Amino acid sequence: MVLAVEAKRLSVGYEELEELLWAVRGVSFEVREGEAFCIVGESGSGKSTVASAIAGILPPHAVTEGELRVGGRLVVKGNERDYEGVRGHLVTYVPQSPGASLNPYLEIGDQFYYVLNNLYGLSRKEAREKARTYLEMAGLDPGAVLDRYPHELSGGMLQRAAIALALSTGAKILVADEPTSSLDAHLRLQIVQLLKRLRSEVGLTLIFITHDMLLAGVLSERIAVMYAGHLVEVGPTKEVLRKPLHPYTSMLIECVPVLGVKRPLKAYAGEPPNLSEAGRGCPFYDRCPFRLEACASEIPPVKEVGESYYVACWLY
Amino acid sequence: MAEGLRALRRRYVEVLRDVSLSVSRGERVAVIGESGSGKTTLLKVVLGLLRPMKGEVVVLGHRIYEIPERERWKVTRRIGYVPQDPFRALNPRLKVADIIAEPLSRLNLSESEKEERVRAAVKMVQLHESVLDYYPSRLSGGMMQRALIARAVVHEPELLLLDEPTSALDVSTQAQVISLLNAIQEKLNCAMVTVTHDLAAAQYLADRAVILHKGVVVEEGSFSEIVRNPKSDHARVLLASYTLGVSEGPLAPLGAT
Repeated sequence: MVLAVEAKRLSVGYEELEELLWAVRGVSFEVREGEAFCIVGESGSGKSTVASAIAGILPPHAVTEGELRVGGRLVVKGNERDYEGVRGHLVTYVPQSPGASLNPYLEIGDQFYYVLNNLYGLSRKEAREKARTYLEMAGLDPGAVLDRYPHELSGGMLQRAAIALALSTGAKILVADEPTSSLDAHLRLQIVQLLKRLRSEVGLTLIFITHDMLLAGVLSERIAVMYAGHLVEVGPTKEVLRKPLHPYTSMLIECVPVLGVKRPLKAYAGEPPNLSEAGRGCPFYDRCPFRLEACASEIPPVKEVGESYYVACWLY
Repeated sequence: MAEGLRALRRRYVEVLRDVSLSVSRGERVAVIGESGSGKTTLLKVVLGLLRPMKGEVVVLGHRIYEIPERERWKVTRRIGYVPQDPFRALNPRLKVADIIAEPLSRLNLSESEKEERVRAAVKMVQLHESVLDYYPSRLSGGMMQRALIARAVVHEPELLLLDEPTSALDVSTQAQVISLLNAIQEKLNCAMVTVTHDLAAAQYLADRAVILHKGVVVEEGSFSEIVRNPKSDHARVLLASYTLGVSEGPLAPLGAT
């Protein structure tokens, strides 16, 4: 089994004024080559930070611990990071809101040129040819977008262009950070279908970050659920959705409104803890209806409960 | 040059066309539309902020656009309004207590009565009283939305207008806010109009749905009717984008329970 990503007790923190805030706290997981892997969590869960760590775009003030391998290359070891030859070559990234990420002063064709020239020294003409191929693959008419500026395109077109740009690098590990959350419902589905298709066409490893369990269910083979910087459950998507083990996972599934299904929405009172106020025990302690004595004082260890199925909860 | 000048001449864009909608007291209605459908414009018209070019608007029994603008507040103060995007809708320079008390300013209440009303509203939205002394920047997204809801209901409105009340929130916070809004609506027995792009969340906030598409009402009825038998092409596309995920995905069995 070839691993696309392997994290071992990875922690990522940000230096804020005098404090060091840990957004990701000792997560370990593996993503297999060719797999569709979803990281699900709410704001502040650390999911986007994990995405940035994999894609090699952590800000300079980030602090890391543990190990991270991407495409077999050790990119994070303790507080040392080296993404040379990995970022853009082995791993690529689709941002949450392409409107804010694409350079507003560059036509779409030029956005490709700057990326491809930087990575592979392609000329304008070569880059344009490549852009055509990938834009078409992403379901856009190259002639209609190559000479346009980002503001001239709709949200759905921009996201397709951003995906094409990410793929044009040739990297086979694609990290997509909530690529659909700024889109209207019908566009959301189109983008998800596009990613599914591209995955098999290009042979991508897809790492998809979302807060939407439904979307994760449609898209992925395995799911990782994060809460307050911790990985609380990792397992095969079907099993996790059918019979979630961690109380937080089950809440995440049952608090999503499903059209045409009338059932009470389940949400335990409270909100995720602040990054600065991490307790000693389980991060979900305050909201958990099943909490035990051990939960208050000790962070539950990650336990293997099935084939490539892990949960961090004292109930198991 | 002349070309350029001509382009600058004012053009009217029809945002809403021939929209008829009536909501009775105690009723919960959702107006569903995607970006650009005109749903926020519709709320502004009802709030007395935007005079329609044609047609009639009756709010709480009054033709509000026939009332002079300076007098209009006498009707519109009986409306509660939760604007879009809690992260940008709170005045960063006011404490939460003063933000929530704003709708009371025209009500001739003593300071102590005001304070009591604000406390009651904060309790209703399940915020801790200590947040009254905070500035908005100290609140989480969910707390901001609760503060906005407190402001919208502090004067016990007869009509509650909600613009995307849950779309900026996390899913678990969304579920909490939905149940909170329904409890408040029941307590005040007010009419509640929710404007949203999220059809699935809307079914929890309304008994009746109106689907807007490019400024036109394309669908109206109960959620079950619309889901079972959509009449317009737009509604069919919209439904597919929700139900395809459900019918293909492993979540389908949940529907049976």
